[in-house]
Amino acid sequence: MTSTPQGRSPRPRPGGGPGEPERREIRVMVVDDHPMWREGVARDLEESGLRVVATAGTGTEALARFPAARPDVVVLDLQIPAPNGVEVTASMVRDNPAVRVLILSASGEQQDVLDAVKAGATGYLVKSASRAELLAALLRVAEGDTVFTPGLAGLVLGEYRRLSDAPAVPDEPDTPRLTERETEVLRLVAKGMSYKQIAERLFLSHRTVQNHVQNTLRKLQLHNRVQLVRYAIEQGLDDDLER
Amino acid sequence: MSPSVSPSGTADPVSWAVESSMYRALAVLRVVVLLNAIGLGWYRRESLDHPGAAVAVLAGMAVWTAFVTWAYAAPQRRRAPLLVADLLVALVAIAASPYIKGDDLRATLPGFWVMAVVLAWAIHWRWQGGLVAATAVSVADLAVRSEITQTNYSNIFLLMLGGPIVGFLSGLLQEMARDRDRAERSAAAAAERARLARVVHDGVLQVLALVQRRGAELGGEAAELGRLAGEQEVALRALVQTQETSGAGAPAGQRDLAMLVTGLQARTTPKVEVAVPGNPVPVAGAVAEEVVAVVRACLHNVTDHVGSDARAWVLLEDLGDQVAVSVRDDGPGIAGGRLDEAAAEGRLGVSESIRGRVAGLGGTATLTSAPGQGTEWEFTIPKKGRS
Repeated sequence: MTSTPQGRSPRPRPGGGPGEPERREIRVMVVDDHPMWREGVARDLEESGLRVVATAGTGTEALARFPAARPDVVVLDLQIPAPNGVEVTASMVRDNPAVRVLILSASGEQQDVLDAVKAGATGYLVKSASRAELLAALLRVAEGDTVFTPGLAGLVLGEYRRLSDAPAVPDEPDTPRLTERETEVLRLVAKGMSYKQIAERLFLSHRTVQNHVQNTLRKLQLHNRVQLVRYAIEQGLDDDLER
Repeated sequence: MSPSVSPSGTADPVSWAVESSMYRALAVLRVVVLLNAIGLGWYRRESLDHPGAAVAVLAGMAVWTAFVTWAYAAPQRRRAPLLVADLLVALVAIAASPYIKGDDLRATLPGFWVMAVVLAWAIHWRWQGGLVAATAVSVADLAVRSEITQTNYSNIFLLMLGGPIVGFLSGLLQEMARDRDRAERSAAAAAERARLARVVHDGVLQVLALVQRRGAELGGEAAELGRLAGEQEVALRALVQTQETSGAGAPAGQRDLAMLVTGLQARTTPKVEVAVPGNPVPVAGAVAEEVVAVVRACLHNVTDHVGSDARAWVLLEDLGDQVAVSVRDDGPGIAGGRLDEAAAEGRLGVSESIRGRVAGLGGTATLTSAPGQGTEWEFTIPKKGRS
């Protein structure tokens, strides 16, 4: 993931810190097919001082409004009328790699969540999360952090294991792997520990823990993109991609 | 899209498809036995009384073979008139044989060609059809012969057996094809139902989550409603996630531990968050049940020692031959020395029983705890259990 014009690089920023006040207005787009829920979330966010620049009820609407709305963060339900949340995530991140996608799902269907994260989403929450939790997650995602639930950490751990267990393909030396430290950190996230608790247990800084967690997602997303490009080339679609 | 209900009545596309395949095979057989009859006729041309009539009959058989190959190809043409006509042609060909070959008849002119009609009847009318046609052909064959040899008897015996057997198999094939078709239909219907259920569940979950959030914000009686909605939301979400993983299933004698562990999220005390790999984790059935029972015991322990509003996390990992399961709570934790102290005082009864059960599965259990870090059980258990 490249660093963005707003300087929301996932790396630690020199002057940045938790004490720094939020200066820039965060532009949010809410995509959900249930009007009641969509409006509820939008109202909550507005009341918390965020700017809701667009809402959408279907994947088509979301993609149509996305370029003009220029949101920093998209709060996205996975179960929406086609194209689904995973496709919408992939499309938005392709159009604007700086956008952050926070998945807000009711049922948290595992494969969907994993696919959305591989497509570029950097946060995941279930809808039963409280208003405060949603707001905290949104601010962190906007900062460039990843918001992991224990469930997502378990899925990501499983995905790495699946990738490393799959029979090695000769021309595929780039199967992503976790370092020992990353595995250790991810396991603790999956056990429900906060970054602060993990930092205490492993004698690391909070920021280092965050970086380890981000790396686990970034490698998966990169692998996913490489796979897609390779598939496109195999299918003779590379000409279209270059255009 | 949901499959339409199969039309009632005799029109059964599945049986038709099976019959059509069998008739195609029969068409090939017919040509082979026709060529055989023509070849033998040519070979014995010197001994024929009426060679002209022989040519006419063989030509007629050839034309008829071509005609029925076309006629049997379409299901709507495969009706009684065609089958009866087919049988009559065969009988006429047999009946003409004494005239063509003379009184001392050792082999009929059509020879094995007549087996084709027996099989045609067997395919369409099952074993009964095969039996009737075989009897008709056999009687005609015996009637035109001056003497009956051991070979004649063998041929007729085989024909009488072959007709019903092919008929029986035809029926069996059609039934199997229908069963498979039904199974495919119901699988498609089940998949569609599951998809619809997901949509409905998602809607219900949304509303429950919303009620829970708004209720908490409004306070008072609404907060109580919100709390109830929250409990149902957790239970339904656990169910949805459980069903999702059960689709992949586990091999016979094994259970998907990921699914079973996910089901634990439906508990309300303590509130449990479960992390599992995205794919099924098949484990020997008895092992899976015992692992879940041990995890339940741990969770029960959490409620007892930390309180009813405690939170707990369960992580399941698939390590290939083994599974790793950890159960953690957010309680105050126990200082290092206190654990030994407690053991010395005999207050670790539950812990000892958990250790014993894990050891019984051939696994290992570790208990770690530190002040402020909660208490954590970690088990490593072989998937096949104690070997």
